[in-house]
Amino acid sequence: MPCLNLHRRATLAFVSVAVAILSSSVTPPAAAQWVGYPTAGVPRKADGTVDMSAPAPKMPDGKPDFSGIWTAGNPAKPKPGGDVAGNGNDIGSSRYMANMGADMKDGLPYQPWLIPIVKERTANLAIDDPHIRCLPDFFLRAYGLPHMLKFLHKPGILVVLNEMNAGYRQVFTDARALPDSPTPAWQGYSTAKWSGDTLIIDTIGTRDDSWIDWNGSVVTEAAKIREEMSRPDFGHLDIKVTVDDPKAYTKPWTVTLRQRIVVDAELIDEICLENEQFVKLMGLGPKDKASAK
Amino acid sequence: MKPKASLLLCLSVGLATMLPAAAHHSFPAQYDINKPITLTGKVTKVEWTNPHIFIYVDVADDKGSVVNWAFEMGGPNALIRQGWKRDSLKPEDTVTIEGSLARDGTHLVNARTVAVDGRKLFAGSQGGEAPAASAK
Repeated sequence: MPCLNLHRRATLAFVSVAVAILSSSVTPPAAAQWVGYPTAGVPRKADGTVDMSAPAPKMPDGKPDFSGIWTAGNPAKPKPGGDVAGNGNDIGSSRYMANMGADMKDGLPYQPWLIPIVKERTANLAIDDPHIRCLPDFFLRAYGLPHMLKFLHKPGILVVLNEMNAGYRQVFTDARALPDSPTPAWQGYSTAKWSGDTLIIDTIGTRDDSWIDWNGSVVTEAAKIREEMSRPDFGHLDIKVTVDDPKAYTKPWTVTLRQRIVVDAELIDEICLENEQFVKLMGLGPKDKASAK
Repeated sequence: MKPKASLLLCLSVGLATMLPAAAHHSFPAQYDINKPITLTGKVTKVEWTNPHIFIYVDVADDKGSVVNWAFEMGGPNALIRQGWKRDSLKPEDTVTIEGSLARDGTHLVNARTVAVDGRKLFAGSQGGEAPAASAK
């Protein structure tokens, strides 16, 4: 499976230490939509930097609290400055953003029908990508894109807000069962239960052709997705994902999508359809009746 | 302190190519990283909109003909986090912009840096580390 060209991967990979240092040292203007507003409850070292290895916060019932703003923690290239908290000006993209099977020796185990589709999408630089068309990002993909995710973890529910397109995902932890024959949904239907300090999230009811990377790999309506989510320390979430989708893949596969904490930041509108120009400029819009003849 | 001056204090020239990119669309499908360009002119319009900001600049060539160029930048959220305000650039401001030309040959550029008053600001776009451009 060819990868996306290195340029795109490089240019979409974020960040420098200098930016992080600069941003953390600048007092933001008061009217800057809470840019730099201190996040409460952040463990800090004597020098003021975030103690990434401090213990994870707990829920009232003693289970880990996954609340926080998160960005991709599997960087596409080594992160200058090491493993430090993001601050909104220091969010990243994952090395799995382009290819979810990047660490698999033979790549993702596509079913034969899917191989030429992904090959074409990779070759044409993803011009048919639903992300480009301002459609919602499937949650597996959102873990690797450079858009902030805000987790709100409460008893009975974990809500994930996606800065991009004001998206949301609900993971119910109130012991309800997964629905029978659900209408396919952009984020599927998710329930979860604890196994020790790991939240086991099961998802069904996804849509066909839900893109999971820039190469155009997908999951289908047949997918059963399990996430094993843990917070080993304050600064990280580990999300071990197993995708069992016999319609798209010849066998189940697993990838761990790490997240890194972002502090002193808040979500800011990123509504794609507001003034999307790419489709128009590239001539990719729907054909009108005249030209379709 | 004027907003622009305040902004300039927050950013330095040396950081100009280290910006977070906005990953909305396929940069290489639309722009050619191997066609860097630097243009100077007067801002005519600023579209402070999602998913990406566009600024329009009148650029005069050697013969005095003026062409209005469009420059795509990052999204408002990325720029705000870097210290930009929606009025950081205004019509009549003189700017020098580095970026990459559109593949379709139109007067469209993906901006990488924006220089105002002799200092460079990030454009928050996907241009990445482009080779040095010859000034036009």
